Amino acid sequence: MVEAAESASALPEPRRYASTRVWRRLVRQPVTLVAGFILTAIFVAGALVPQYTPPVAHIHLSQRWLNHPPMLSGWHLLGTDAIGRDMLIRVLYGLHTSEQSALVATFFAAVIGIVVGGIAGYRGGRHDAAMMRITDLVGVFPALMLLLAIYTWWQPVTAWRATVIFALYLWVPMARVVRAEISSLREREFVQAALSLGASDRRIFFRHLLPNASGTIIIAATSLLGLVFVLEATVEFFGIGVPSDLYPTLGNLIGDGQRFAFQLGQGWWAWAGPAALLMLILVCVNLLGDGLVEALRPPRSRR
Amino acid sequence: MMWGMGAFVLRRLVFGLVVMFVALSGSFLFFAAKFEPLHSTPLLHSYWVWLRGIPNGRSFETGLLNTHLMSFIGGAFGRTMLLLALTLVFVVAISIPVACISAATRGSALDYLLRIGTYVAWAVPGIIVAVLLQEGFGRTPGGWGTGWFPSVGWAGECPNGQGIDPHNFQCPAAGHGLTHVGQVIYHLTLPALALALVFIGVHSRFLRNSLIEALDAPYITVARAKGLTERAVLLRHALRNAFVAFVPALVSDLGLLLGGALAVDYIFQLGGLGTVLIALLELDIDGIPQVDVYALQLALLLGAAVILTASILSEVVLALLDPRTRAD
Repeated sequence: MVEAAESASALPEPRRYASTRVWRRLVRQPVTLVAGFILTAIFVAGALVPQYTPPVAHIHLSQRWLNHPPMLSGWHLLGTDAIGRDMLIRVLYGLHTSEQSALVATFFAAVIGIVVGGIAGYRGGRHDAAMMRITDLVGVFPALMLLLAIYTWWQPVTAWRATVIFALYLWVPMARVVRAEISSLREREFVQAALSLGASDRRIFFRHLLPNASGTIIIAATSLLGLVFVLEATVEFFGIGVPSDLYPTLGNLIGDGQRFAFQLGQGWWAWAGPAALLMLILVCVNLLGDGLVEALRPPRSRR
Repeated sequence: MMWGMGAFVLRRLVFGLVVMFVALSGSFLFFAAKFEPLHSTPLLHSYWVWLRGIPNGRSFETGLLNTHLMSFIGGAFGRTMLLLALTLVFVVAISIPVACISAATRGSALDYLLRIGTYVAWAVPGIIVAVLLQEGFGRTPGGWGTGWFPSVGWAGECPNGQGIDPHNFQCPAAGHGLTHVGQVIYHLTLPALALALVFIGVHSRFLRNSLIEALDAPYITVARAKGLTERAVLLRHALRNAFVAFVPALVSDLGLLLGGALAVDYIFQLGGLGTVLIALLELDIDGIPQVDVYALQLALLLGAAVILTASILSEVVLALLDPRTRAD
């Protein structure tokens, strides 16, 4: 109803930049803004961790407090694990590693996906068929099974190797989305107009198709970020990935916490901290994604 | 019409098998190059040996440790399939009522509550749900949970001595006949619930949206004008039409469900495909990390078979439910 009233009041609509329109829509969705703000704060905090906390090689070992629940004294806000390491610092380093590999992997997966999907969607024919066959091949196996096997293949897995694995695996959904969007945009009138004006393929692709597909790409990239976080945490959870002593990640911290709860009688706080942070990140990513879908939806044409 | 359907299924099946074969060959070459299944033989020759062993089943029989692969992995696969079946039951039994209530009371406080709940269920990763359920309702040593369900192990099994009865120091027996079935379901309840929650989140949101879309359609106005009760309108007319989108989506998610089942199976130590896969990948012979490529190939084959079956089945179900998608 609000929308209807507003579109009625804005009838003699002045020409507005798309970015202005998107921004105005975003401002009207406080939930999305808050989610984006929290996510940015978490990511900035995670990026700055090594600057402000003791280095990961000598994480505090507190002799007096082994396996202690969260407490204020000594600032062990998330408790200590079975050998006395402070969980708060472990979780912050876990955030640092997870965030780094998720953001970098999403970026490269998006770039590869845009290039491959763009070429397949724009050229069609042979290129398109080749891409579809490759995506078929990647989709044959359950993701988790394949990722676990590849992790074993590339032992010892470091944070960077995990990033490469995810970038090389997850460009496929991005390429599918971009391909569908580009191949439907290609048939539109403005591309015909640009073609008849003698624009080169490159110009059409970068100046006409890509900007028009940007909304879809941003939405797909957001959901990709969430997917990388979930998949990475799940794979790391099995404990065959990045070693948690050197590179704590959110996934292997949860996995360690769960395993050692059985083996060493470690308390619930060892997995609750990283699990809560991961949950917060994922809920925020999903809320942001939903809000972006609303905001970036092309304006409804008046009927 | 049935002929058209048969031809369609056959075409998809043949195409899927070809893609599967290419992918399995690729994965064999990829992993065999690193973990030599046959010692000091060229890669292509060991590929040929593996290929030759497919028709007579030799490639699926013996592995690195001269174990019988099929009895080793096949049994685990059966457990995983049982877990998937119970999960599907939970997904259907919970998401349909949730979606119906949510759609019928659209805009009310209850609807908002259900929507927030399903949103959270969807956004929280399965491993966290599984760990929470295990701690909250399983019998973990020193845990804070209610202890209503066994926290780890298949019926009659106590992996690493967990779940042993402190009174007689024995693992609770699995029983026979119907008791056994009951025990298996009892042990599978928490894992299946953990696995189901994410998909309940996805599918009840999806079904709610298609129900609401259906409730605005003209035929619903007709049904209401005929004097049907709101309940009959929802259950007999709207729900039936919303199913057309719901059921194929559910079936096609089986592949994703299998991936989640690996993690859940590992957390609850059910001895299914996830546990076996990790045992395979962590194989250590005289301190040298070694992977049984034949066993890995068999596990990948079974996973791929589930995904292929699910994708074909979902298209068949769609064609059966929705006459419009039948081209001929």
